[in-house]
Amino acid sequence: MQDTVLVVGGGPAGLSAAANVTSAGYKAVMVEKEDVLGGAPILSGYAKLVPSGEWASEAIGRMVKRVEDDSSVAVHKSAKVEKLDGEAGNFTATLTNGETVQAGSVVLATGFTHFDSINKPEWGFGTYEDVLTTTQVEQMVASGNIACPSDGRVPERVCILLCVGSRDRQIGREWCSKICCTVSANMAMEIKELSPETDVFIYYMDIRTFGLYEDKYYWKSQEEFKTKFVKARIAEVTSSGDGRLLVKGEDTLVKRPIVIPFDMVVHAIGMDPNADNPEISQVFGVGLEKHGFLEKAEQYTNTCGTTRKGIYACGAAYGPETIDDSIAQGAAAGGRAVADLHALVQKAG
Amino acid sequence: MAIHEKALIEDERLQQHDELVVDGVDVSGHWNTMIAPRTVRDYDDDFETKIQSYTGGEYVHRCWQCGSCTNSCTMYAQNVQFNPRYWIYLTRLGMKEELVKDKDIIWQCVSCNKCTNICPKDVKPEGVMKALAHWMEEEGITEKAPSTIFDEEFADQIYKTGRIEDGKVMQNFFKKTGQPLLQEWLKVFVFRMMKHLPVKHLMTMGFNTVHTPRTKSWGKTGDVLKNYVREQKEAAHG
Repeated sequence: MQDTVLVVGGGPAGLSAAANVTSAGYKAVMVEKEDVLGGAPILSGYAKLVPSGEWASEAIGRMVKRVEDDSSVAVHKSAKVEKLDGEAGNFTATLTNGETVQAGSVVLATGFTHFDSINKPEWGFGTYEDVLTTTQVEQMVASGNIACPSDGRVPERVCILLCVGSRDRQIGREWCSKICCTVSANMAMEIKELSPETDVFIYYMDIRTFGLYEDKYYWKSQEEFKTKFVKARIAEVTSSGDGRLLVKGEDTLVKRPIVIPFDMVVHAIGMDPNADNPEISQVFGVGLEKHGFLEKAEQYTNTCGTTRKGIYACGAAYGPETIDDSIAQGAAAGGRAVADLHALVQKAG
Repeated sequence: MAIHEKALIEDERLQQHDELVVDGVDVSGHWNTMIAPRTVRDYDDDFETKIQSYTGGEYVHRCWQCGSCTNSCTMYAQNVQFNPRYWIYLTRLGMKEELVKDKDIIWQCVSCNKCTNICPKDVKPEGVMKALAHWMEEEGITEKAPSTIFDEEFADQIYKTGRIEDGKVMQNFFKKTGQPLLQEWLKVFVFRMMKHLPVKHLMTMGFNTVHTPRTKSWGKTGDVLKNYVREQKEAAHG
């Protein structure tokens, strides 16, 4: 009889899954490839989370503590699953640290990889110091100081470019990353709070602050923080020659080319499939959908399912996802995994 | 860039020279026409605040460009160039040059307030149209409206004498707006007044129109008043 669930990935979804498994009285083994738990919010040093407004280190920190304090969870950090033998109800996983884990079911909470702006070279990242990504600015906000990396000056004008690595066929990213509009509107307000003299512009093709994020972020950033939203297609980011950056493109509402000076340009980077997904697909024998995220099983009666029986998934492993929804999905996947164990118990009994 | 199809380019962007040498090459003649670039090179960051200082423009920053104002607009139905949504966008970004291009139609807003009713963000686009029209008038981009000319004449007389003389206000208003002094309706109006008003009243009116007496002990009040109004305007619009 198996009483253990293998949870792969120690981000918000995985932490939630593990906690749900042990709260049902079963055991969880968590395998995390990095040397800390917490996933992207901790590894990338996010500032305040949307929509709770809590600092990532505190909010996700609580999730980490809950799992680390839980004697029913065995955590393997700096380790990956190398091989998975057996079948639903009786898996044997071999880890890169040499350990083997017996588990009745598996939850893949393997998340995503931030889009690497180097893949959009014409927008200046990697060429100009003052072109940053949203993760870098998250870290700036968390440190409480907004400054241009080139010379440390406080920027007079910041622009955030949306859909960097999202909705871009040119570079094979045919998906909306879902959270960047909201994160950017939130970031515009955070920048304004730290530096009230800074004007923040957001360059967009569409705004998708979906659901309940509308008033709290999209409206508020305009009404209270005077963030300016410019509908434009950006061609390139270059240097003005006097230490500023020039954002070139077309304002699609005015139908005129634009060349606007900025002190800081921020890429609102999207979510790529986890760079390890091809490996994950092979090791666990699960399929990937056409964009490279994990393939979902039939959704309506096989929630959190993958293409392989006994293996469940949750969160951004399936595609761009919010932190809150990743946590909910983690709990759901944990529930499915536990149900499998429970069915085995009944069968054996 | 030299061009042939000049009809496709706005007149103000066509630059023609009789003699033109570029980098030592004489391009006089057929190749001498150039187009000024239409690139937007900067935003006027203070313009939104400026328009917000005019009555009606206070809520322009709320706009999210849904276009409900333009869709519901009475004037848009007459002329698709009349586009409140677009002007609000230009205002927010401070693209004055683009706005000025539409100076001859922005004032045509008829204040039906359909936009005010339909706007999901309570921008009050009708107010923004008014604010823009006022700004253009104050900047001298558009001619003074007859109502402004009337107001100025009215206020001027008060500053000078502490009172107005109806006849004189009319007379100067007509003069300044280029209208004939003897208008048909006015003739009828004066004729009826002469017929029905007491003679003493008429004589006082005539005397006052010619001599424009000041209110008793008016003194420097006019100057003080004038300064106060100027200060208030500066405080509001900079």
